[in-house]
Amino acid sequence: MVIAELNPQFLVRAGEVHRSVYTDPAIFKLEMERIFGRAWLYLAHESEVPEPGDYVVRHMGTQAVILTRGKSGGIETIFNRCSHRGATLCAFEKGSAPHGHQCPYHGWTFNADGTVRFVSNASNYDGVLDEADYAISQVRTETYRGFIFGNLAGHAAPPLGDFLGHMKSTIDDLVDRSPTGKIEVGKYQLRHYYRANWKMTFENLNDTIHPGFAHSASVVSAKSVLAEVGRDNIVPTVGMMLANGKPIQFFQDLDMVTTPGGHSYIGGHMGADYTPDTADAYTQSLMDFHGPEKAKQVLSVDRHLMLLYPSSFWHARYQTIRIIRPVRHDLTEMIGFTFKLVGAPEETHVNAIEYCTGANSAASPVIADDLEIYERCLLGNEYDRREWIPMSRGLNEDRERGNSITRTPATSEAYIRNQFAAWADYMGKAS
Amino acid sequence: MIVEVSDLIQLEAALLDDCRYAEWIELFTDDCLYWVPVSPEMQSPRDGPSHFRDDRQVMMVRTHRLANPRSFGAEPSPRTVHIISGIRIEESTPEEIHVSSSQIMLEYRNRGRFEEDQRAFGGRVRHRLLRTAEGLRIAEKRIDLINAEGAFNAMAAPL
Ligand code: FES
Ligand SMILES: [Fe+2]
Repeated sequence: MVIAELNPQFLVRAGEVHRSVYTDPAIFKLEMERIFGRAWLYLAHESEVPEPGDYVVRHMGTQAVILTRGKSGGIETIFNRCSHRGATLCAFEKGSAPHGHQCPYHGWTFNADGTVRFVSNASNYDGVLDEADYAISQVRTETYRGFIFGNLAGHAAPPLGDFLGHMKSTIDDLVDRSPTGKIEVGKYQLRHYYRANWKMTFENLNDTIHPGFAHSASVVSAKSVLAEVGRDNIVPTVGMMLANGKPIQFFQDLDMVTTPGGHSYIGGHMGADYTPDTADAYTQSLMDFHGPEKAKQVLSVDRHLMLLYPSSFWHARYQTIRIIRPVRHDLTEMIGFTFKLVGAPEETHVNAIEYCTGANSAASPVIADDLEIYERCLLGNEYDRREWIPMSRGLNEDRERGNSITRTPATSEAYIRNQFAAWADYMGKAS
Repeated sequence: MIVEVSDLIQLEAALLDDCRYAEWIELFTDDCLYWVPVSPEMQSPRDGPSHFRDDRQVMMVRTHRLANPRSFGAEPSPRTVHIISGIRIEESTPEEIHVSSSQIMLEYRNRGRFEEDQRAFGGRVRHRLLRTAEGLRIAEKRIDLINAEGAFNAMAAPL
């Protein structure tokens, strides 16, 4: 496909999408400009860079940026690219550079905000190079409750709050679960990758019909072990596999919520029966912090994964956030982070860790099945003359349609249609 | 003692390579840990997420699933070979032996994708062995892959 022909109205229809959105490198390139170049992307949590000079490197689509805690305490975000000859500045994903980021090639050094701190052999440039012209470009960021988001469109982008809309409530749900109002990122991250398009994950994670098929082997195996050891002795990981065997009616009865911008979540988490109930000590500490009313309300929020289009996945109850890193149209990385609710029993973080392991490890039986499926879909979409992929499940089943949220049964593909509505909107605007 | 220990480490790997999973699990104690951390710095599986963090039950599910033709993630089943070298006893008491070895596991799944179908996993493996009434058993197997921090594609076969 030639870019000039690429008009999203030809690729997205009411209940169908053209398969080239998964297979065409030219479309991927345009997605990086028009979607990842315009949407607010979750980058990092403030607790990842506690001290001045602390930094982390993150991706915004295919571009890498450095987030550094500056001397004045604010967080600065710049591209991870030396403005001399373009060498990558930071080779590590995290570290401390209190004296600025020095390029390994000719030693040019930059402050956290990208301004030039040092140019080697400056006298050779006498009068011909103005350091002010070589400040590394900054990326616009905004923070919501400690979570830092970046936007490559700079001032052309709407405020973060508008982008999040109703989905702020899931972020609130995560932070409000802390009995001190503070959360802290876990030290270790867990990554997997697959050889297929980034959108596959977005379309799979709230797909409630596939587990009964794609994960049936995990369910069968979990049941056989259940029969051997007894329900009371089931460990959480095995419980999580069993949760994939829930009857379809369970999901038909649940609500799926979609919001403008391609975001969605499912109400009612699939794993209600696989985590130990919130410990009494934790509930008490939450009541002390919020007061009994609010504490009750916080604990009653019961949401499965929130998909924040186009780059992150939030599980408030299990304090896990995953970030997607599209590498090529046929290569994608997923990075999982856990969070500690400061002041909560250590066991709470252990639950989050268990969830993250089950939900993001390439060795998790459930994820291994999903990754295999993503790759098969990429392969299959390269051939046959059938070019359109249906996304019409539940097309006429909306339960509530509003400007800020739409409710459908959780079995619906409404969330995929909603993603492609956002996709077409981003992709359709040339500038 | 080194002969006895080395026999056990080699037997464990051979059982995996031969897909004799029930016998493999029998080599482990009831409250065992089979662990592939995401960083060599991790002290405990409670420090953060892991690639594998299995107790005996999860090992049972995992291997039962490998034998199921509907487990797409393992279709076609992986074939593996372990190459073990440098088996050393690092510490021993009458009840407990800490062993370390360097291991490479080659894994092949025929998906018609040429070199991509074969992968190599390698790193330092640590076994904590216990003397029990049934003989020497594995209480903990920890595998520090040299690329532990990296991203992995689907892994079905235990390392
Ligand atoms: S490329 Fe960075 S100093 Fe020359
Ligand atoms: Fe799945």
